[in-house]
Amino acid sequence: MGMLHNLADLIKIKKDKMTILVLGLNNSGKSSIINHFKKSSEQTSIVVPTVGFMVEQFYSMAGVSIKAIDMSGATRYRNLWEHQLKNCHGIIYVIDSSDRMRFVVVKDELDLVLQHPDLCNRIVPILFYGNKSDMEDSLSSVKIAAALRLENIKEKPWHICSSNAISGEGLGEGVQWLIQQMRFAMLNNKDAAKARSKHSK
Amino acid sequence: MRRPMAASAPNWLHVDTEDEVRPQLTTLSSCMTLSDVQCDGYVRLLAADISLDDAAEEPSATLKVFRGLKLKQEQPLPGIPTAIESLYIDESEPKTPVIAVAIAESVLFYRHLKPYFKYTIPAQDSEDLELEVWRKLPVMKQDAHPALLESLQNIDHAKLSRKSQRLLQLSEEEREAFITTHRDSAVGRGGSIVAMCCLKRISSDANPPSHLVLATDSGSVLILEPQGFNLVFEGKTCADETAVPSLISVQGTYETDFCIVVATRNGGVYLLRKTQSEGQEIFKLGTPLTGLLLLPIDQTIIASTMDNRYLCYSKRGKLLYQVPLQELPVCILPLPMTHLGLTLVAIALKGGVVKFYLQRYLVDEFALSETVDAMLYGRMGMEDHVLTLVTQSGDIVVKILRRVSRFDPKPGDLGNKRSGSDHSSIVDASILDKPKKSSIFVEQAAREKQQAKATYGSFQVELWRLRLTAARATIDAINSSESTISGDLTHAPVKLSAEVCGSGPAFRLYLTVQNLSTFKMASNLVVLLHADRRHYTVPQTLARLPSVLPGVPLRVDFEVVAVLDPMDKLPPASLSPDNSQIRVMLMKAGQAKPLIAAAVSMPQSEAAF
Repeated sequence: MGMLHNLADLIKIKKDKMTILVLGLNNSGKSSIINHFKKSSEQTSIVVPTVGFMVEQFYSMAGVSIKAIDMSGATRYRNLWEHQLKNCHGIIYVIDSSDRMRFVVVKDELDLVLQHPDLCNRIVPILFYGNKSDMEDSLSSVKIAAALRLENIKEKPWHICSSNAISGEGLGEGVQWLIQQMRFAMLNNKDAAKARSKHSK
Repeated sequence: MRRPMAASAPNWLHVDTEDEVRPQLTTLSSCMTLSDVQCDGYVRLLAADISLDDAAEEPSATLKVFRGLKLKQEQPLPGIPTAIESLYIDESEPKTPVIAVAIAESVLFYRHLKPYFKYTIPAQDSEDLELEVWRKLPVMKQDAHPALLESLQNIDHAKLSRKSQRLLQLSEEEREAFITTHRDSAVGRGGSIVAMCCLKRISSDANPPSHLVLATDSGSVLILEPQGFNLVFEGKTCADETAVPSLISVQGTYETDFCIVVATRNGGVYLLRKTQSEGQEIFKLGTPLTGLLLLPIDQTIIASTMDNRYLCYSKRGKLLYQVPLQELPVCILPLPMTHLGLTLVAIALKGGVVKFYLQRYLVDEFALSETVDAMLYGRMGMEDHVLTLVTQSGDIVVKILRRVSRFDPKPGDLGNKRSGSDHSSIVDASILDKPKKSSIFVEQAAREKQQAKATYGSFQVELWRLRLTAARATIDAINSSESTISGDLTHAPVKLSAEVCGSGPAFRLYLTVQNLSTFKMASNLVVLLHADRRHYTVPQTLARLPSVLPGVPLRVDFEVVAVLDPMDKLPPASLSPDNSQIRVMLMKAGQAKPLIAAAVSMPQSEAAF
């Protein structure tokens, strides 16, 4: 019986839409990454700085329907991030691995996101992209994880991989991990909700 | 010493460079700038690294370009720069910044980090005596030289050419060789540039083209237009010849209005405006200044002095506030925070403390391990609010402003800093910055309180007088029919409009008479023109009009010839714009009072040929 339930839940999730929030500083490559996930006919050759945010729909991304919110990373739009935190199931945090000077800003903004009340009590998987891995000054994903002290993130599943948004290297691997984690998180949440409703009865 | 406030959530994020080799830099605030030299949107740090090592024979400088904190390029400079600025010289796309480096009496311009132009400020005439000495030196025997040098020494050192100044510094043995090598070079005295600033030409977009403001040690303030390399403004700091500028600060735009504040080595501060070429003294301090700023928003002048004070003056020289500092201020820097709409002043103190003031209130501070020599704030890399600090031993420290930082004066903190009686007033002032009540205002308020009745009475009298004057003027206007619509109720209302055609001396005056009534006919109307005979000749001054039907405008025209002097073809001297009028009267036959009396002002007549 339990197994059947799980299966039904899995099918149900397929109908569900998952919302992924794409965060990161300006010029880290968020829109380029999103651009790479689009169909080749919809891709644009020139990516311009995002103003505010953009919403992109993907109907068959690794078997699920995904809504990606591409937030602007410009300083004056970063205060918009927190408004989207409530409704997201997963976060992609894009880091320019060649911009060593701004790691401190990356860390600060990440801490602000993680400490936000809409997010701190939920299990939301976070995928870090160490983007621009082709640049000469770029750091490896291990070094970035150390610089940002990602090991301190205990209550949320996270994963870091280096990527190259122009060639698409490393992007697929990360997204597969994220979707898998989002599925688990949703199942857990549903189980928890069920357990709670049973208790209330 | 107090620790930095709120250490848990600092306003500045420290950029770590622990695992990398730290680049070393010895420089001044004026020799650092931020520029998008590569035109790729990544703003790099440019600084002149000045090496004053004893081992090296001559002090030398190199221009270094840092991407982030990594040294990317360097280029030796031909001398020790006094200032480096990055500016845009034209509006052509793609916008390429030009680096201006002021060395001695010239400004070197670099484009794409390649030498582009060298501008040398015009030399001034040198003293006759000095010319005489240089004429004699190569030809006379060595025994006579000390006497000649003696005479050079009698001239004011600042008025000597660089060649002579150098000669006087040399030892006996070196002099001979120096004289033989420099015997034929010109004895020009070009003032060295002591300070350089950018002045935006217009304040349109983000990177408008700029001019360069140069202050020389001869006391002149010049504005250089870097497209054609012309001087577009030349001014003097003050009438006094010996005032040598040391610091300048500029605000405004060249096209509209600008202010240049110049501090001299003697402690005087002078203000130059666009309209005046000689500076006026704003204030004079007994101690030398270490920093000078003209703040953009409230247009106040900030100065830090050697006696550990931080002062703020208005442009009229009134001391607005002063803050005592614990240590000697080494350098000060304005931090315009456009997203917060305020400008902070950062003051680096001896010992390594950096304090941030919002007007007179301390809003933030942090301490470094050693004294900060130079500071720079602005967009660096991809981040907008980056503060770069260079310490005495050459370490570069980069701090990035947190996005969520807010700088508010803390009333409690202010209260603790001030002791005694004025405690409450300062707390109030921090909540709402009300303008101070002047003594005139206070006296006036007191007088009104004492003589309330008389004040009220006289106010009422004046009010009624005003109303009476207004009513009289209205009646006059109605009585004299001086309007374009007739006000006589017994007849049909008539409207008169006039139009003058031609450029002179012959004009044609078109009058349009319109009956505004819906059913009454305006009949028996006469138009009479009246003009000063000395100014205008009107062949036909009277016209009887046919009946004017409602709604159908009637157009009549008259010839008016302006009187010109037959000799010089000019209008008579008595004609002025005030009296070049022709009175038009619309009358009803049999009535003495005109329906409409209007004055048509005539245009200036052109000379007849």
